[in-house]
Amino acid sequence: MKRNENKSGLSNLLAKPGAQSVIASLICILGGLLVGFIVLALLALFDKDIPFYDAISGFFTVLGGPFSAGNGKDVLFQMGNMLFSSTPLIMTGLSVAIAFKTGLFNIGAPGQYLMGAMGALIVALSIPTTVVPSWIVWILALLAGTLLGVLWGAIPGFFKARFNVNEVIVCIMTNWIAANVVSWVFKATSEQFVNYAETKVNFIRKTVTNGVSTATFGLDKLFGGSYMDISIFLAAIIAIVLYIVINKTTFGYELKACGYNKHASKYAGMNEKKYIILSMAIAGGLAACGAALWCLNGAQDFKWDTYQTLPADGFNGIPAALLASNNPIAVIFSGIFLKYLNVGGSNLAAQTSFNEYVSSLIVAVIIYFAGFSKFIRELLIRRKKENGKEKKKADVFLRPTSVLAEGVIEEPEKTSGEKLSDLQSDGADTAAEKANETAPKTEKEADEK
Amino acid sequence: MNTDNNVKLTETAETSDYPYVIEMRNITKDFPGIIANDNITLQLKRGEIHALLGENGAGKSTLMSVLFGLYQPEKGEIYKNGQKVEINDPNDANALGIGMVHQHFKLVEVFTVLDNIILGIEPNTAGFLRKKEARRKVVELSHKYGLNVDPDALVEDITVGMQQRTEILKMLYRENEVLIFDEPTAVLTPQEIGELMHIMKGLAAEGKTILFISHKLNEIMEVADRCTVLRKGKYIGTVNIADTTKEELSSMMVGRSIKFSVDKKEAVPGETVLEVEHLTVKSKLHKKNAVNNVSFSVRAGEIVCVAGIDGNGQTELVNALTGLEKAEAGSKVIFCGEDITKKSIRYKNTHGISHIPEDRHKHGLILDYSLEENLVLQRYFEPQFQNHGMIRFGEVRKYAEDLIDKYDVRSGQGAVTTTRSMSGGNQQKAIIARELDRNHKLLVAVQPTRGLDVGAIEFIHEQIVSSRDAGAGVLLISLELDEVMDLSDRILVIYEGEIVGELDPKTTTVEELGLYMAGAKRQKTKGGDAE
Repeated sequence: MKRNENKSGLSNLLAKPGAQSVIASLICILGGLLVGFIVLALLALFDKDIPFYDAISGFFTVLGGPFSAGNGKDVLFQMGNMLFSSTPLIMTGLSVAIAFKTGLFNIGAPGQYLMGAMGALIVALSIPTTVVPSWIVWILALLAGTLLGVLWGAIPGFFKARFNVNEVIVCIMTNWIAANVVSWVFKATSEQFVNYAETKVNFIRKTVTNGVSTATFGLDKLFGGSYMDISIFLAAIIAIVLYIVINKTTFGYELKACGYNKHASKYAGMNEKKYIILSMAIAGGLAACGAALWCLNGAQDFKWDTYQTLPADGFNGIPAALLASNNPIAVIFSGIFLKYLNVGGSNLAAQTSFNEYVSSLIVAVIIYFAGFSKFIRELLIRRKKENGKEKKKADVFLRPTSVLAEGVIEEPEKTSGEKLSDLQSDGADTAAEKANETAPKTEKEADEK
Repeated sequence: MNTDNNVKLTETAETSDYPYVIEMRNITKDFPGIIANDNITLQLKRGEIHALLGENGAGKSTLMSVLFGLYQPEKGEIYKNGQKVEINDPNDANALGIGMVHQHFKLVEVFTVLDNIILGIEPNTAGFLRKKEARRKVVELSHKYGLNVDPDALVEDITVGMQQRTEILKMLYRENEVLIFDEPTAVLTPQEIGELMHIMKGLAAEGKTILFISHKLNEIMEVADRCTVLRKGKYIGTVNIADTTKEELSSMMVGRSIKFSVDKKEAVPGETVLEVEHLTVKSKLHKKNAVNNVSFSVRAGEIVCVAGIDGNGQTELVNALTGLEKAEAGSKVIFCGEDITKKSIRYKNTHGISHIPEDRHKHGLILDYSLEENLVLQRYFEPQFQNHGMIRFGEVRKYAEDLIDKYDVRSGQGAVTTTRSMSGGNQQKAIIARELDRNHKLLVAVQPTRGLDVGAIEFIHEQIVSSRDAGAGVLLISLELDEVMDLSDRILVIYEGEIVGELDPKTTTVEELGLYMAGAKRQKTKGGDAE
């Protein structure tokens, strides 16, 4: 059998998994933007007060993010705030991504985030900086927050490993437990932590009041007096370290092995339960660390009566991870990108007759589309394999499991690995299988003849 | 051996009383990088059992997918009774009277047999089901063809054999005349295979045409009238079974002659490697023990085979030995003089036990890992492959390429191929390579050749024998009687979790072995004195 050699440059590019992920994410973003534009256009059409031209200019305002702020100083200011506020989102994105790598869906990031914020704030505000140098307090606070998140994340991990309770259920419960614990702790200790100096209500004192704040190295001034500090760089470093851990170390090898196939991991002598707990604990630590970095900026107001709402950055870690195909380094960019659109959205509200809800809607649609990135990637792979000639129907028929989001839905226990992958390989993979079987050895057989 | 001179059918197309129900002429199906079907012609006579034979990846499934409307061929036509037809999807195939029993059944587990059969064509009046009529027809068909299916049983409660018969009934209910069986015997016990063969003959006698996809030569020789052989996507020939032999078929299939019996020297058993005493394992399925007070030993340089019908405790026995399941109190597993009953899997892996697992997809491989990552699955932490927790990918690659070369593991992109995309035979070869290359004193091989074609089976048997000759003790678990008789130096028969007999393959017969396996005979052995 001969192999076809006529591959175009594009199909070569499509063959690379990395490129497929990037293209899939771009398609999601474009889809989201398109729907966003349609919404803007419809609003402009039906609302007499909004000229249609606003739909187009508004669209580019969203697309411009901080760049649509107007003058250079405002652009820098918005840019600084965008980068700063990306930090917690990147961290929760990493949190979700690493859990996905072990086949777990960490929807508990909001709770871990809250615990991290609480731990960091309590330490940062209760150790007097007159006694202990403020940079040591800063480090202690960061560690305290992270550690609390580690413990909080380990809870669903433990239940999953020990009793096989679905981590999603435990995560959702621990989210609300965390929200209530945080409210309860701060209510009980209100004298010490709650901000009464300003007229605002329900906020914890800023950590800068105790002299604790993240180093800025003049970045805040560089970015027009924004909140910008070095936390985004810390997040980026953590992402890179995580990338190395997952892809280059034996620990990462074990984590992924347990995620892909816990039975085979057990067979190979790994303690698969340990890695489930560890993975969730690390995920919890990452989300909490993000919250701590946000609080320790010093100038942030933390609203302590959290029992009614969960922090959006916790949940938005999921689209950040999905958009990045769970690649830690890509999470840096997807996190910044989501905040970029947020900034664009507030500019839309400020500069045009659209209100801020429209911008939230556009961001929401993009996030929604991000959920399809895996699906779109599968489509790309399929198209590549079938050369665009095959009927999609047949393929969907033969690959019932292909649409499952990675790790979100578990493969049914009783379907043995054999059955499952036979189902998959029967269809679109047959070609590849055949290639494997015969192609590389043709010379050998020729010799035999 | 050149097989291209084999019998090729000469076409005699008569329009009236056309001899072929289905003809696939000159089918070519391309996939990127590969031609899965290259100018293949398949002609089915009415009322015959026609076997389609080929190795894993020879293009059988693709050809059937074309016939069933799942793929569109680049070239070639399909004829029904001499009329050209277009089959664009499975519904078209159904309308033409073509039905298929897939290898993995497409049944709704929580529905009854009857509900599954009428699914999709439910007889109804204004949306209300009229099941009575359907039930009568199903019972009638079941009797006529001796299918013996209870229409009211839930699918999840019935045996695999009965599920398969439900699939057959589904086709009969739809009045299909061409029945495709995709490797139907792969999931059945020997008894069920016998029944299926009987049913297939009955169906053919009633005028149904059967296309039987298989790579098991014995079954083809037993049941088929004619056989079409594919190799590497090419049409090799069609032969009458009455005029051919197993050897000829196998050489057509793989392109060289195949040894059916295993070449091995007399065993030279050394000291005892594995000593199992009073092993008891609880069952997850029923209240009785899956393995009940079993004692036996394996010596270096011998192949001890545990034979038995599937589900008699073999899986649990192996799991308890290798550590995947816990043994009950009082059980003792002694490996090279050391009690390892309670040792971890990692300990057993690193102290000389190699394990070819029963389910290669569930336990043997991480399918989403690359081939090289799978080849170091139990060794990635050894100093050779890691340095301060960082995996030495260069070393892994070198080691993997070495193994791939040594064990002839074929894959699309070599060491970096995703294991999922490899064929079953090569996945199994990868496991064999990994397990045999590790230093081992004991090899536990569970159904090492399940679902593989003759070429791969021959290779794996050779490897197991050479492992034995190198001084390892081999504990083989197999359901295939031929394999048991050929490969083993000593046979232990397991029945309902107990060892009921110890036989010498040189003096015993398949029939006698069968009696022990079915529980009709038992010896008083040291393992059999339970209760």
